[in-house]
This record gives sequence, C-alpha cells and structure tokens, in this order.
Amino acid sequence: MATTKMKIRKNKAGGHDVMVLAKHPMETGLRKDKKTGEKIPAHFIQTMEFALNGTVVAQANLGAGVSKNPLIGIAIAGASSGDTVSVSWIDNKGEGDSAETVVK
Amino acid sequence: MKRRIFLKGSLAAGTVAVAAGAGLLAPARVLAATWPEAAFAAKTEADALRAFFGDAAVVDSDKVSLKAPLQAENGAVVPIKVMTTLTDAEAIAVVVEKNPVPYVTSLQMTVVAGGMFSARIKMGQTSPVNCYVKAGGKLHKASQEIKVSIGGCGG
Amino acid sequence: MKKLFALMAAAGVMVLASTTTQAISEAEIRSDIAAFQGFFLKRFPSLTLEDFVDGVNALPQYAHRRANWELLMEFPPYEPEMEKAEQEWSKAFANGKTFADCALAPANTYPVYDAGSNDLHTLVGDLNACLAANGEKPIKNVKHGKMARLVAHYRAQFNGERMAVDFSAAGAQAWYEKGRQFYWAKRGQLNFSCASCHVQNAGNSIRGDVLSPGLGHTVGFPVYRTKWAVAGKPWGTVHRRYGGCNKQVRASPFKAQGTEYKALEYYEAIMNTGVPLKVPSQRQ
Repeated sequence: MATTKMKIRKNKAGGHDVMVLAKHPMETGLRKDKKTGEKIPAHFIQTMEFALNGTVVAQANLGAGVSKNPLIGIAIAGASSGDTVSVSWIDNKGEGDSAETVVK
Repeated sequence: MKRRIFLKGSLAAGTVAVAAGAGLLAPARVLAATWPEAAFAAKTEADALRAFFGDAAVVDSDKVSLKAPLQAENGAVVPIKVMTTLTDAEAIAVVVEKNPVPYVTSLQMTVVAGGMFSARIKMGQTSPVNCYVKAGGKLHKASQEIKVSIGGCGG
Repeated sequence: MKKLFALMAAAGVMVLASTTTQAISEAEIRSDIAAFQGFFLKRFPSLTLEDFVDGVNALPQYAHRRANWELLMEFPPYEPEMEKAEQEWSKAFANGKTFADCALAPANTYPVYDAGSNDLHTLVGDLNACLAANGEKPIKNVKHGKMARLVAHYRAQFNGERMAVDFSAAGAQAWYEKGRQFYWAKRGQLNFSCASCHVQNAGNSIRGDVLSPGLGHTVGFPVYRTKWAVAGKPWGTVHRRYGGCNKQVRASPFKAQGTEYKALEYYEAIMNTGVPLKVPSQRQ
C-alpha cells in the first residue's frame, strides 16, 4: 500500500494546487520512549521534490518541526490535463517514497 | 519559457544564474539543492535567514499572505498556508520565532511553482509565525501570531 | 422554551430519586427530541440541524477553530486510514465470506433494540457477532484501531442519511430512559452531568477549550482526533469518547459496549433524530 498520497485540485489562480500527505513519524530525536526511557532517534523527511512531466519544479525542505504524517502543498502553473505530477521524498536515514498522479 | 536555474547548495552560495549563451538550458533537473543543514541548525531566526537566503533585506509585503488559525487546535499539527502574488518568487521560508529550531520548513522553486506553500507544523508555544518569500533580492515578509494553549478538556 | 427545559431537568432529578425506571411513552420521547433540538436551534440561531454534526467547528463564535478545521479538511488526515478501512472490510474471512455478508442494520438506525433479548444492538456489537458467526475471532479492542475503521467504513456508506433510531417498543423505551438518566445525572469529583457541559454550557469555553453542543453528538463518529493521532491511536468510537469524558470529570469510566454506554448512545442517537450522518469526523 502506497504511503504517500497526492491530491491535485484546480486553484483560483488558474493553476493547480498539489497536496502531498506522507506517512512518516517526523521524530525530533528529543522524545523518550516511555517503556525504555531511551531517546527515540531523530527520523524525519528532509527533502521533497515535485516534478511536472519529469522536470523538477520545486523542492520542499523539511525538518522535525514539521508535523507527523506531513502535509506539504504547492501550487503549480501551466499544468494541463494529461500531465504527470510526481513527488519523491527522502528522509535523514536515506529512506524515501514517491507518488505520481495524472492531472485530470 | 525561461527556466530559472539554481546552483547546487543553498541560495546563500551565490546569485541566481541564468542560462548563458544559447538562452535555454533544459537539463532534466533544474533544482538540485541540498537540504539546508545550516538553516535547520540555526538557533535564531536571524541566523536561519542568513544561512538560507544569504544577506537580503526584509520588507513587509502585501504580496505575501499567510492563512493560518489565530489559535491552534493542537500545537503538534498547525496548518498554515503561505500565498504570494510575486511572479519572481524563488524561495519561501517558514520560521516560528519561539520554536527551539525556528527554521521549520522551506520551499525552493522555479517559476512554475511559485504561488503557494502549505504545511502542517509543530509549535511549542504561542509565537509569531514569519513567512519570507525571496524575490527580487529581497525577503518579502508576512507574519501572524498563532496562539498555542494546552486545552484542558478532550478525553 | 426555558420552562420545557426546566421541566426536563426537574424530571431527571425526580426519576433519580426512585429506584425503578419510570415508564416513558413514545410520545414523551418525541417531545423530548423536540425540546432538546429546539433548545440548541434557539441557542445557535444561525445553525441548521445539519450543521450541528460538525460540532465546535460549526459554531460561528469560534472562527479560529473552524479555520483550523477547514485547513485540515483540504486533505483530511484520516484519508489513508479510510483506505486501510476499505481493505480491511473487503478482506475475506477464512470461510470465504466478508463483512458485506453480515446482517447489519442501516447505520443511521443504530443502536437497534432487540425485543427477544431485551437488549440494544450496536454496530460494534453486530460486527463482532458477525465475526463470531463466521468462525473468526471477535475484535477485542472496540474503542479504536481496526474496529473503529470498520465502523467508519460502514457508516460512511450512509453519509447523508438522517438518524432514525426506532423506539416504538416498550423495552426500547426503558433503555431510552436509562440513557436519559445517565445523560442528566451528575457524576465524578467535578460533579458534572453530560448536560452540565453539553447542554447548559454548550458553546462556552472552559479550560482553554470549547464545549460542543449535545445536538450533533455521535452522528459523525468514529472520530479521527489530532490529539490521539499524535499519540498513535487516532481513531475513537463513541464509547472511547464516553470513557474519556467520564475520566475528565473524575468519574470512573464504564466498560465500552457495556449497559451504561449502550443506553447513553441510544439516548444520544434518539436526541439526534433527523441529523444527517457525516462520517468520519476530524477533530482536534
């Protein structure tokens, strides 16, 4: 099951809003495990790249100050029906995920 | 359409370079920015801004607006949305003054993706949330205080 | 209106003084519904019956709550979980059947009174009964997680349908009365009844929070809460919330799917007759 979800909606500026919901704990590294008392290591998404038809158009930089299961949204201009919007992200452990949607 | 090209590394490293000679370069990736580690390590807003944007004057701007609740339901998930009508926006940074790490998130973009940046952020306490949009060599600022309280009820 | 309301409160006190449950007629229940709903429609005149399902987020005097909620609803945090719910619902039992084969009442009619056993059937109870009937293990934790997701999935299919719980049988009316007494009885170290907060102080702020109106309660459940999501258990069924609320007034919570909370759920469902389902709910 994909853990990164994308929604694309027409916006008022004549373009599209692209919203991405990723599943990720976004741990700060300061929280303690209630059972062991040990600090849970920092684990968070660092960069999230947005591409339109394969060309990167934006990169979001995230830190642990972004909420768990982060939502990141951007607006893109000039996307037409049939275009592909893709997103891919990488976290501080080097793990990542991606998703893509075709503009309606 | 001219695509703006960003140099590898933070925006502070140098000015924006425009494709020389033939005019249009069309590499598969025009953004190859690394994660702005120095900005995320900064303990103050001023240090974070300098690390991410370089030296650029801050100006209040009516071309940048921030949509966010005046009081957060829950400080762990505060939804905010930055919008700008600036057509030459290169990057947007969201800074929460009173957070232990003030620099929370940012967006670096080409002209195709410049109008909006939304995120759900963590806020440790009531604080101004300052959003900066870099355009034309200046940091256009929009700000709003978001109150954070720990509600007493809620099971 | 104030008179009716005072009568209701007085009646509650009177019944508590006796040890047996007074009989209540279908007509009296209908008049209770009218009084209850009328109270809230008058207290919040800009809201229609349908609006109340959004709880605190519907109240015009708390624009910041609505603003927060609207931003989250642009991409509801519960969506990935609802996809998971659909998969869990569709997964076949060992015998090849699925939840779609269960004998379930329409979601807007729960809890359902069963005269044969003189008991109330909740959707949670019927789902577990269906599992047992198909040789599967019933779900132990009925307050969150998988059970909440299954309930959310089933109820969401009835979104827009108005609450229509049946209370025509005498036995059902006795259950209603049990629930009504619970709702209006003071409890806990803080000595509050459900009504103290959700009727008498509906829409008031308390301890940095806002008290939601009783009208609308339970209709949008299960609820997906930010507070619970941060702690790793985002979903809550009605009985999870009841337990939390009882603890908040420093009363011992009752057992989920036990008599007290089933009766309370029945009373609330009946008080919300006519309110359309809107499942699931996103809350703080």
